[in-house]
Amino acid sequence: MTSRQSLGAVRSSFAPWADPTATPLVRFEAVTKRFGAETAVKSVSLDIYEREFFALLGPSGCGKTTLMRMLAGFETPDEGRVTLEGQDLAGLPPHQRPLHMMFQSYALFPHLSVERNIAFGLQRQGLAKAEISDRVAEMLALVRLEGLARRKPDQLSGGQRQRVALARALAPRPKVLLLDEPLGALDRKLREETQFELMALQQRLGMTFLVVTHDQEEAMVMADRIAVMRAGEIVQTGPPPEVYEAPNCRYVADFIGEVNLFEGQVETADGRLVRLSSPVCPQGLEAAEDDPLPKSAAAWFAVRPEKMVLHPTPPPPGPNLMQGKVADIGYLGDWTTYVVEVAGGQTVRAARANAARVVENPVDWGDTVWLTFARDAAVVLSR
Amino acid sequence: MRAGGLAFVAALLLAACSQDGGRKPARASDTLHIYNWSDYIDPALLADFTKRTGVKVVYDTFDSNEVLETKVLQGDTGYDLVVPSNNNVARYIQAGAIEPLDRARLAGLDKLDATIMAHMAPFDPGAKYTVPYMWGTVGIGYNVDAVAKRLPGVKIDSWAIAFDPKSLAKLKDCGVYFLDASEDMFATALNFLGKDPNSKSAADYQAATDLLLAARPYVRKFHSSEYVDALANGDICLAIGYSGDVLQAKARADEAKNGVKIAYAIPKEGGQIWFDVFVTPKGAPNPDAAYKFLNFMLEPATIARASNFTKYANANAAATPLLDAEVRDNPNIYPPPEIAGRLFVTTAKDQALLRDVNRRWTQVLTGQ
Amino acid sequence: MKRRSLAAIAPYLWLLAFFLFPFLLVAKLSLSDQALAMPPYAPRLDLAAGVAGIASFLKALDLETYLRLASDRLYLVSYLSSLKFAAVGTVILLLIGYPMAYGMSRFPPAGRQALLMAVILPFWTSFLIRIYAWVAILKPQGLLNAALQGLGLPALSILNTETAVYLGLVYAYLPFMVLPLYAVLERQDPSLMEAAADLGASPLQAFWRVTFPISMPGVAAGALLCFIPMVGEFVIPDLLGGPGTLTLGRTLWTEFFANRDWPAASAVAIVMLVTLVAPLVFLQRRASTLAAAS
Repeated sequence: MTSRQSLGAVRSSFAPWADPTATPLVRFEAVTKRFGAETAVKSVSLDIYEREFFALLGPSGCGKTTLMRMLAGFETPDEGRVTLEGQDLAGLPPHQRPLHMMFQSYALFPHLSVERNIAFGLQRQGLAKAEISDRVAEMLALVRLEGLARRKPDQLSGGQRQRVALARALAPRPKVLLLDEPLGALDRKLREETQFELMALQQRLGMTFLVVTHDQEEAMVMADRIAVMRAGEIVQTGPPPEVYEAPNCRYVADFIGEVNLFEGQVETADGRLVRLSSPVCPQGLEAAEDDPLPKSAAAWFAVRPEKMVLHPTPPPPGPNLMQGKVADIGYLGDWTTYVVEVAGGQTVRAARANAARVVENPVDWGDTVWLTFARDAAVVLSR
Repeated sequence: MRAGGLAFVAALLLAACSQDGGRKPARASDTLHIYNWSDYIDPALLADFTKRTGVKVVYDTFDSNEVLETKVLQGDTGYDLVVPSNNNVARYIQAGAIEPLDRARLAGLDKLDATIMAHMAPFDPGAKYTVPYMWGTVGIGYNVDAVAKRLPGVKIDSWAIAFDPKSLAKLKDCGVYFLDASEDMFATALNFLGKDPNSKSAADYQAATDLLLAARPYVRKFHSSEYVDALANGDICLAIGYSGDVLQAKARADEAKNGVKIAYAIPKEGGQIWFDVFVTPKGAPNPDAAYKFLNFMLEPATIARASNFTKYANANAAATPLLDAEVRDNPNIYPPPEIAGRLFVTTAKDQALLRDVNRRWTQVLTGQ
Repeated sequence: MKRRSLAAIAPYLWLLAFFLFPFLLVAKLSLSDQALAMPPYAPRLDLAAGVAGIASFLKALDLETYLRLASDRLYLVSYLSSLKFAAVGTVILLLIGYPMAYGMSRFPPAGRQALLMAVILPFWTSFLIRIYAWVAILKPQGLLNAALQGLGLPALSILNTETAVYLGLVYAYLPFMVLPLYAVLERQDPSLMEAAADLGASPLQAFWRVTFPISMPGVAAGALLCFIPMVGEFVIPDLLGGPGTLTLGRTLWTEFFANRDWPAASAVAIVMLVTLVAPLVFLQRRASTLAAAS
């Protein structure tokens, strides 16, 4: 690969994790947490760097919130340790940790006005009255709630409450801001807006954000790096393009975005090309892959729907070609997704950009179509 | 007359149920409703009455004259017979709350003891409204040994023991109880002071109030029933109380064999004699049954059995020979003539006087 | 439409039938005079005499009873004494009830149900029997002194003292304090405490700055539920207090039963109602207008 090449279409210049001399701000070192017989977090190690926007992504119950709560001090690790700026946090109660959290429920104090909610953490720091009111005003301006300072939380909309919670957690200038499903309670449009607001805010304040989410899109959009969790363990950590374009297992491939998985047996794997035999493709499956794989082992090709090519007429025969019937069509405006049933009953998704407004001979339900993908469009997975 | 200090219990319940007229519905003519003091009749007597006459008895109980009077004055009690104490009866008559009795329908009135009946004359002249049930006295109950130790050689035969601060001071450490009953206590105090126990003079009542206030610092408790246990257990050495209650305390102490010797005295200045009497409230649903029951209770054999049970005296001269010896020969139940001559009865007070007496009593109790 | 209007007036009908009507009856009685009659007061309304009957009835009503209440310090003293019992009782109840409710609300849910049952369970026994049970415990030869004796400690004389009254009040009204407090505390989002801790509040600060202020409605409800009936409480002071224990309930009892003075008893009740309930209604009004204004 040359320097011009990169995974995905984004070039990121901020990458302290790639710098071996950088010291992480937060370190989880082989942290394990059990609740009774259940192990919520299994020996997780993780580094988060200053000014990083880091996302813990996974389905509910995967341990991501427990991991965050151990950093905040609400849970104590059974094994391993959590450090902040190299200092072990063990034994430090939550109210003495220089981290603040934005709760999923927002946890606004219902008896306090917006300004007094925001001032709560500042008062605990023992700041002077004038300084507190300055800081509250600054925070209100930051989250654009200037006119609502005296309102009580129950007189605010969901989006306004979310911003109060954010301002309250930001006001005492935490070393790390923890966000637990920060956008979960917002409707879709507001969520998209707020994603970009959060990113802008993080950039402007130069702060470190750790967000916990189950929404892969949210994580992809906002985070510098994503750690995908499954059953208490981190499966893969990396910047969004890497996690999307180079998932290291079927779980990550499937969890992040849509994916077609083709299972087969390794026929040849010579360090440049992997060839699988598969019932869906009479001519076999081929993909570019540097790592050798043992012959006859089970392997999977993961191909994103947008990398599948749909042919209304049969293309010339070759590898990675399959024939099927259109079972479903999802028209999304910018894209159309075709669900095609191929040999063996497997359904394959193919997405096409709607580049033109008018299409001659459009593909219809029940039509016989042909699907192909390029050799470098597939990711070869052995687990 | 054994005025229950805990009378409010019944009061509350009655106040609640008497409002709804729940007792009004027509009832079978063969049922008799009686409202009497608690633990005040031999249940076997009621069974015998029903066996003899076929009249079923519904028997309810109360704990204080105040509760009974409030209920009767409100009307529609649903009872055929109720059992107030003598000094309330005049008010019942005046308010028109009870029915006069048809003496022709009562047999055996002639057997009633004339001296006792003379005591009844002030509140029910000619016995037009009442038939006596039991009677007793107010006197001094005391722990013989405990008092002898503190007042050596003193004979317990004067109210001075209970009212004179000098003697009370010596008894204070072992405990003195007074009844929490305004009319009884004022009558007793007036009598001790040599005044008319039924006085209407404010000056007399002021003197009685002063006497009671002077005694108050030495009185451990004002209570109308607790002294029974307290005496029996040897917790206190002296109580102004009702004859039957003190005898009950004595019986309990004897039974417990705890070495406590209880005695009862009617002091030489005299003491109050009180009566509980049967009356028929206005609008009694079944007066015929009431007459049947009164006639039953006028039989010497029946009333003798009743006294044997309650350990109180009755007013039926013909019944006296039929009593158990322990009741008949007990001078505290049937006082000998020289003591009986010193007994007095209290009569009803008018509303203003009653209010004044109760107000003074509150002053004695609370200092307010 | 018609149905809705009926539903709208239903609470007022209830109020009319079960509060206003009895209140007016008692008020009328308080303006009457005591009489030796059945029932023992006068005048009585003679509807057969028509308008003239009503007129003479109204003419006979007067404020004499109230004047008498004003002329004797006893009523004021017993009222103040009742207020003192109720106020001190409410404070003790809060001090005991709050930690109890707080502890219950922090219990695992399964245990909470059991604790709640334990709080409610005494209601299955008659109130009177429960207070009598205290008599049995506190009397000189009662269970308490038997236990103390067994431990070789000196006996206590608690029955018929103010201490016994407070014991009884606290015992009897504790559920009325605990339940509303528990209701608000249990509903409180536990993440609020975490948020407070997260923002630097120590557990004690978090309690006083967050938990306690948010539970104020429960505190107010519990205090009112206990204070108002305790002012008028009769049974507990009568059973557990001494003869010197002065309360409004006992003064009322004396008027009604010992003096047979129904008008005076009614007047005492009316004064209590007006002086106690009116300020509370006013306070509540003020609180709701304040809430609406902000």
